[in-house]
Amino acid sequence: MAENIFAEIYNKILGLFGQATQKEDSKDVAVNRLRLVLMQDRTNLTPEIMQRMRKELIELLSKYVELDKEALELNFEQEGEQMALMLSIPVVRAKDEAEIEAALKEDEEKGNSEDESDEETENSEEETSEDESQEAAENGEEKSEEQNEEEIEITEGSEQSQEENEEDKPEESSEPKKRGRKKSEE
Amino acid sequence: MTGKVIVITSGKGGVGKTTTNANIGTALARAGKKVVMIDTDLGLRNLDLLLGLENRIVYTIVDVVEERCKLKQALVKDKKNPNLCLLAAAQTRDKSAVTEEQLKNICEELKKSFDFVLVDCPAGIEQGFQNAVAGASEAIVVTTPEMSAVRDADRIIGLLEAREEIKSYKLLLNRYRPHMAAAKDMMSADEVVELLSAELLGIIPEDTGIITSTNKGEPIVNDENSLAGRAYRNVAERIMGNDVPIIDFEEEAKFSNKVKKFFSKFLKKGKEN
Repeated sequence: MAENIFAEIYNKILGLFGQATQKEDSKDVAVNRLRLVLMQDRTNLTPEIMQRMRKELIELLSKYVELDKEALELNFEQEGEQMALMLSIPVVRAKDEAEIEAALKEDEEKGNSEDESDEETENSEEETSEDESQEAAENGEEKSEEQNEEEIEITEGSEQSQEENEEDKPEESSEPKKRGRKKSEE
Repeated sequence: MTGKVIVITSGKGGVGKTTTNANIGTALARAGKKVVMIDTDLGLRNLDLLLGLENRIVYTIVDVVEERCKLKQALVKDKKNPNLCLLAAAQTRDKSAVTEEQLKNICEELKKSFDFVLVDCPAGIEQGFQNAVAGASEAIVVTTPEMSAVRDADRIIGLLEAREEIKSYKLLLNRYRPHMAAAKDMMSADEVVELLSAELLGIIPEDTGIITSTNKGEPIVNDENSLAGRAYRNVAERIMGNDVPIIDFEEEAKFSNKVKKFFSKFLKKGKEN
């Protein structure tokens, strides 16, 4: 116990002299950066997809709390062996019961109309997005593959939106295979 | 005889695919195996230079495909080792001059009379890569402990897994700097292996001797005293199915770092006195 206190004081003194007490080795930086980048490469969670995920999360959470949409952070982080999706949400204020109920009701109504025609709601969603054309392309892709596994859906949607002109590239379509392996090995 | 067809690939350029090819091929031939190397880097051929065979090439793989010569005629025998042959790439053509199917047929034909067919793959993930992989059943993924090379290797592994003909692939960590790894200034072999979750075939230490041996057109495996040469010979042993332990360069480096530190302290003291 006493040793810990001394060590802390020692470190603080070192810190005062501008010396980094815990110098991270450059190779550790490399390993951590690579972990993230490989993870993204393997899942094909492109910035556009992440943006979309962010948008949908905001929509969902806004029903219950008023949040600072600009400051919301969504990132992948490594926690030991596990990859984690870290979501940091600055809450402006909690909504009261009436507001939540109103939001849920509105949502329900939306849901009912969704039952009547799936595509209409999908389209109205698109209109609210900033980059309409991009989103439209993605939605179009995803609709046709909705029955498939989620992983494949994300992969192909993003690939195609990037390489709309190149069709039927064999390596693209079979990529999810690899990810299956990586996951199962872990 | 049915030989093994092994493609040597990396994604990123400049990590040492061709050097690896020349050295593994030479080492296998030295061990008495019949080896043929195919350079599929059409338009940017270099394997002939590393082997010192650039002046002996008469026909190339494109001549074979376009039936200007027989396959056997196009094989260039190594200067020293009669077990070793090269099927050179054409320098004046591009990657589209040979198709996947044609390369597959060439590999099929060659594996009838050779123990090992080593395919030198061009950098990149385009058609040149797809062609080179087509005839192979095994792959060696060459990488270095640098971020860009590791990332590209990961991509290549993904593409290899998507190809059914590739039954297995292994990682070769090239240009390894044990001193930097020991000082934690560079990723260690374990870390690269863990990131890529692939089986390790071997570690080749960075060796300035590679440059001089390339200058002379003689693979470094022929140099008995070279550390990289020794590492390549061990890799060849493993390819032949012999269990040779991977040299722990990092431990050696840690030890020599300590020795250096000790002596530098000693020298400093001497100066002070």
